[in-house]
Amino acid sequence: MGVPLHVQVLRALLFVLPVGALALALPEVPHWFVVGAVVVTSALWARSPDTVAGAVSLVLVACWWAAHGVVDWRVLVVAVLLLAAHVVATVLSYGPPTLALDPRLARLWSRRALLALVPAPIAWFAVRGLDPTLAPSWVWLAAGVLVVAMLATTSLLTQRAPE
Amino acid sequence: MSRWRPTTSLVRACLLALGGLAGGVVLGQEVLVVLAAPFVLLAAMGLVARPGQVPRVEARIDHHRLHEGQGTTSRLVADDLTGVEHVTRVASGTAHVVTSPAYGAAGMLVADGLPTIDFGPRRWGRRAIGAERLALTSGWAGWRWGPVDMPEHGLTVLPQTAPYDSRAEVPQPDGLVGRHRSRRIGSGTEFEGIRHFTTGDRLKRITWPVSLRTGELHVITTRAEQDAGVWLVVDGLRDIGVSGGIDGAASTLDLTVRAAAALAEHHIRTGDRVGLLVVAGDGARVARGSGPRHHHRLQGTLARVRTDARSIAPERLDLGGGTGSVVYVLSPMLFTPLVAATAGLQRSGATVVVIDTLGERDEAADRLALRSLADRIQKIERDDRLRRLAELGTPVVPWRGPGTLDTVLSQLARRARVPKVRA
Repeated sequence: MGVPLHVQVLRALLFVLPVGALALALPEVPHWFVVGAVVVTSALWARSPDTVAGAVSLVLVACWWAAHGVVDWRVLVVAVLLLAAHVVATVLSYGPPTLALDPRLARLWSRRALLALVPAPIAWFAVRGLDPTLAPSWVWLAAGVLVVAMLATTSLLTQRAPE
Repeated sequence: MSRWRPTTSLVRACLLALGGLAGGVVLGQEVLVVLAAPFVLLAAMGLVARPGQVPRVEARIDHHRLHEGQGTTSRLVADDLTGVEHVTRVASGTAHVVTSPAYGAAGMLVADGLPTIDFGPRRWGRRAIGAERLALTSGWAGWRWGPVDMPEHGLTVLPQTAPYDSRAEVPQPDGLVGRHRSRRIGSGTEFEGIRHFTTGDRLKRITWPVSLRTGELHVITTRAEQDAGVWLVVDGLRDIGVSGGIDGAASTLDLTVRAAAALAEHHIRTGDRVGLLVVAGDGARVARGSGPRHHHRLQGTLARVRTDARSIAPERLDLGGGTGSVVYVLSPMLFTPLVAATAGLQRSGATVVVIDTLGERDEAADRLALRSLADRIQKIERDDRLRRLAELGTPVVPWRGPGTLDTVLSQLARRARVPKVRA
């Protein structure tokens, strides 16, 4: 009731994108539990774009592809689909379902999405082109320290500010 | 007061970015690194875009007093929006008030300005508008302030003055200023006749041409210009029918209030003194007066008319000694006590005109349905009451806008000029 058509289309995309990212694995069929969980969480996400169901859906898809262990062209497409789903949910979460999408906001997030995509092919080429067995041990140590530093920074920035 | 909180979008981006990188490094899952890479940028940008200050925002509306069909705008006033990228406002729905954008939801990038919401009241009365929820979002949708509830604003919606004009004279003008011609001779400018000079006549009234021709002093007599006292009695006991606002169907109370507003405007424009008596649960009485300020007061009182199912019709109408006035009783005449009170007013010497505001009502499709039968019985009883009122000499006219009262007022004026023999 009162939901503009373009918002309904975007909500439908929220359901289709994660499911599509999983469907790229065909003809290999993921475990029924994974398929069911992704479908359910994607449907919940489409219903309420500002809920944690979206994160669950994206994590499930990402984990399945990680467990699948194939770094081919489909991983790049999956990255695009997951990012698109995240951006669509972000745009929809600016207001209630009755809020019409601001074209300027849509253009802004389109540009941001394109910018955010840049590291994906770089990482993909790096993963495919570099042999991890040849890397010196300090590389892994430095990567681990970097990840811990990022976690600490995120924790610091998101903790509750004094009232 | 609200504070800045991370959005679901930021939490999701952080989870995917950090989880993917940690999984890639610790578990050696290269695919996770590729999938997490786009989210690293989004998470980092969202995290660092946290605004440093708590904003102070309030909403204001342009007008607090409007007519039906007019509109006002609610605007945001903010002291410092540094770091804020987007503003979202959602106004709550109010009966008989339309909003633009539809459903009261507006959002805009701060770079393009602050979003406004237009309110258009469609029916007279007291309305509370502007109750809304407001949310501010920082750059890259990282942080959100709110949603916070904003207080509502009171809005007085005055009834639309339906186009009304009348060229008929009010039957019993009794004041000393105004546009109506008096039956009494006085110091006006309108010629009445020429007569012999008598003691006490003012010298400037002597007409010298006639005096010289006849050889005796003659003076010109003129009619005084007088205003009329008008009382509007508004029946707010019940509201029959569903109001569709200014664009839709009118309920009986809509017709009553709009007709009263039109009559008040017309008579005040012609310089008459207009009083108002609201017959309702919380009735009101405005003494006779004239001028724009009094007109505003009448409109404000009409806008506050509310029906109350527990209210009962009065035994008599107390107009505070306005016997020389013309009294318009605007009512669908559904209550016998009100009809009796109107008849009592007529007997007391006032010139009473009943304006029927029941309007046209569609009959139910099923004539044998209980409600349809009840409506018909009520209509028969009402017609009988109106017939008896007419027999007492009180004219009853349905409200039809311009010219509604022309014929009946002319007849009343003629009747008032006829010499009366009192026992």
